[in-house]
Amino acid sequence: MQDRVCKRCGGALQSRDAQSLQKVWAWLLAGMIAYLPANIYPMLLTSTLTTRSESTIIGGVIELVEHGSLGIAAIVFIASVMIPVGKFLAIAYLAISVQRRSMASQHERHRAYEVVEFIGRWSMIDVFVVAILSALVQLDTIATINPGIAAVSFALSVIFTMLSAQAFDSRLIWDADRTQQ
Amino acid sequence: MSDIPPNDAAQLDIRPVKQRIWKRLSLVWLVPVAALAISLGAAWQNYNDRGTLITISFENASGIQAGETVIKYRDVTVGEVESVEFSEGLTVVLVHARVDKTVAPFLDDDAQFWVVRPDVSVRGITGLETVLSGVYIAGNWDTEADVAQDEFTGLEQPNLTTASQRGTVVILRTSDGGSITAGAPVLHKGIQVGYLESPELSLDGDQVVVNAFIESPYDRRITTSTRFWDTSGFSVSFGAGGVSLDVSSLASLIEGGIAFDTVVSGGAPIKDGHRFDIFPDNASARDSLFTDPNAEVLEVAALFEESVTGLTAGSEVRFQGIRIGEVSDINAIVVGDGDDAQVRLQAVLAIEPSRIGMGGDATADDALALLSEFVARGLRARMVTGNILAGTLYVELIELEDALPAIVTLTSGRYPVIPTTDSQISDVAATAEGLLARINALPVEDLMDGAIDMMDSIERLANDEATRGVPASIVALADETRALVQSEDLQAIPNDLRNVIADLNGLVTEAEETGLIGDFDLAIETATAAARNIEVATQNLPAITAEIEALTAKANSLEFEALVASATDTLAAIDGVIGTPEAVALPGSLNGALEEMRGFLAEVREGGAIENVNDALASANEAARAIEDAVSTLPALSARANRLVAQTEAVIESYSERSRFGAETLQTLRDIQEAADALAALSRQIQRNPNSLLTGR
Repeated sequence: MQDRVCKRCGGALQSRDAQSLQKVWAWLLAGMIAYLPANIYPMLLTSTLTTRSESTIIGGVIELVEHGSLGIAAIVFIASVMIPVGKFLAIAYLAISVQRRSMASQHERHRAYEVVEFIGRWSMIDVFVVAILSALVQLDTIATINPGIAAVSFALSVIFTMLSAQAFDSRLIWDADRTQQ
Repeated sequence: MSDIPPNDAAQLDIRPVKQRIWKRLSLVWLVPVAALAISLGAAWQNYNDRGTLITISFENASGIQAGETVIKYRDVTVGEVESVEFSEGLTVVLVHARVDKTVAPFLDDDAQFWVVRPDVSVRGITGLETVLSGVYIAGNWDTEADVAQDEFTGLEQPNLTTASQRGTVVILRTSDGGSITAGAPVLHKGIQVGYLESPELSLDGDQVVVNAFIESPYDRRITTSTRFWDTSGFSVSFGAGGVSLDVSSLASLIEGGIAFDTVVSGGAPIKDGHRFDIFPDNASARDSLFTDPNAEVLEVAALFEESVTGLTAGSEVRFQGIRIGEVSDINAIVVGDGDDAQVRLQAVLAIEPSRIGMGGDATADDALALLSEFVARGLRARMVTGNILAGTLYVELIELEDALPAIVTLTSGRYPVIPTTDSQISDVAATAEGLLARINALPVEDLMDGAIDMMDSIERLANDEATRGVPASIVALADETRALVQSEDLQAIPNDLRNVIADLNGLVTEAEETGLIGDFDLAIETATAAARNIEVATQNLPAITAEIEALTAKANSLEFEALVASATDTLAAIDGVIGTPEAVALPGSLNGALEEMRGFLAEVREGGAIENVNDALASANEAARAIEDAVSTLPALSARANRLVAQTEAVIESYSERSRFGAETLQTLRDIQEAADALAALSRQIQRNPNSLLTGR
């Protein structure tokens, strides 16, 4: 079973990726580690004629709320905080559920996996905003916006979580169900 | 071959191959490990690099914001404010800041921090960049690492002297800080070489103390002989050279400024913190150079009887115009006892022995001995007006030649008393009053009265009938004189004389020809007598001439032309002349004189000298005939005849002199005519314009 080879292409065939969960956990851990500086360090370095401000993700959200832009604050908060954190939780839940072979129905876990897959790319919306602002607002002394360390960290965090989600072998869900039965 | 195992087959013991855990680990684990390592590394490095925390306390932290306000050293950012809070009891604001680890060791006890804010002053605008960027904290410390500290007290005002600037700080003292502000320039020969820091009151409150920073290398110019003076504002001084307006730089005009100079050499170099006094102006600063403040001063008292208003402590004491000291005190003392008691004003004169030609080491006793000697020779003290406008006085020591003997009194009071003399105080008010009094005393009204009287007199004189009669009388006189001159008798005189001379010539010729002498003596005597007669008769003529001349002179002496020409100059004289009764009677007298003259001339014409002359000539004729008779009988006596001729010649000569008579008489008449014309013109003028007598036109 282990050393099957595809008769057409000669590639190694595997029924299950034995290291799948390891990869999931490793990428997930890396993504979470990268997510910490993404929140601690400033995302945007805004220099205008008179002031120089550094805003972190949460700081920016609070600022937006204070200014009354609740809608934008909500978008930023959802894209930058809720989705990544939700992804961490969802992947961790899937991984744990596969390992413990338990809990919710197979159908729900599949749906959760698809949502994680689908929503993952939207986490990059923050990085896109930063990239676009940094590219557009370069007016020298009058106003300049530069990406902070957090932007890189956040991008890495998103990439790591996406890799984590991809590393998850969805067939393991079946295996778990089967063993449960 | 089928993948599906048969249902009935025994359950296989399916187990994952036991692999060693090392082999089972995925390489992907390297990623989170690396991420963790990088994160931890970055965090550690960040922590390591975040710098040293220091705390600066400020009274006023306006504009300082946590996370934004930076700390700059020489305009390079070396730190950032982390937090701002109050100290316990809200006394000061504590600013916590992190400074770079590289500069932290240099933050020892000489480090200073202040807040840089925009500052607009006369010298310019500083801190302009902080208008937009917000304030920052500037720090200054030297380049030697010492014991590092982490608590500092911020300065309220920027310290003008950066520790790295090379120069000297001197402490200046003044009694009036009104003209001194922080940052005011310190000038040397008009060039700014330093500046003042914030002036402060001294602890006892008596003086204002201000630190002045003199930049290197100009600080080498400062020695113990250097004097500082105040150049702020402007000074206006009156002097013999006119008004002098002295203005320093515009900045020092507004902000105040201090200048210094070292005029004399020989001062010792100074160290930081040397104390100097600020003199009010350049002159007093220079003056003080020649005054050794440690030299002994001789104090003597002078008692004045007059008011000493204008004399103050500090007034100069001069000897022959040179300042030798100053008045150190003025007070009133009681002199005498009982009924004789008098209050006198005592001025204490502080005289510097070095100023009266004694050596620098002369003591007060030496100076007193010298002064006593001078007093014995007549030296006295007196008050003299220094400035008329301000009414200030100074004390002058003067040597009087005729001074009564006096000595320096050593017994009474604290000070030796030197004798005084009358003061020479010229008071503007008194002088002006005197001038006004003198103007008041001028007899202006009398003068006007006199002038009016004089005009009346002249008018009266001009209107007088007698005055108007003068020209007519003079014309009559002239007519008379002309008639006299034109009379045939007078004109006959020359002819007669010619006849006589012809006869005499003939006689002499005859006598020479005949050579007869005979009774010639007698004839000669007769001829001589005749000649004398002629002489006598002729001598009467000059008398007439003299009288006419005198008359003319009298008429001339009236000087009416001059009267008119110089009427203004000789108002008083004319007044006198016209005012006298004689002048009023003048026209009458003149008429009388003319009448007399006319009578005299009529007399002359009727039977005076001309007849006599004719008679004399006739007798001479007769004598000549007698001689002619005698000649025929008498031989020539050449010598006597010669004498006769000489005599006759003298006669002729004297007559020829008298022949001027006619010309002189004519001249006289012309003069009189002119005088008459002038009088007529005068009277016309006066009638037309009486004012002309006053105005002179």
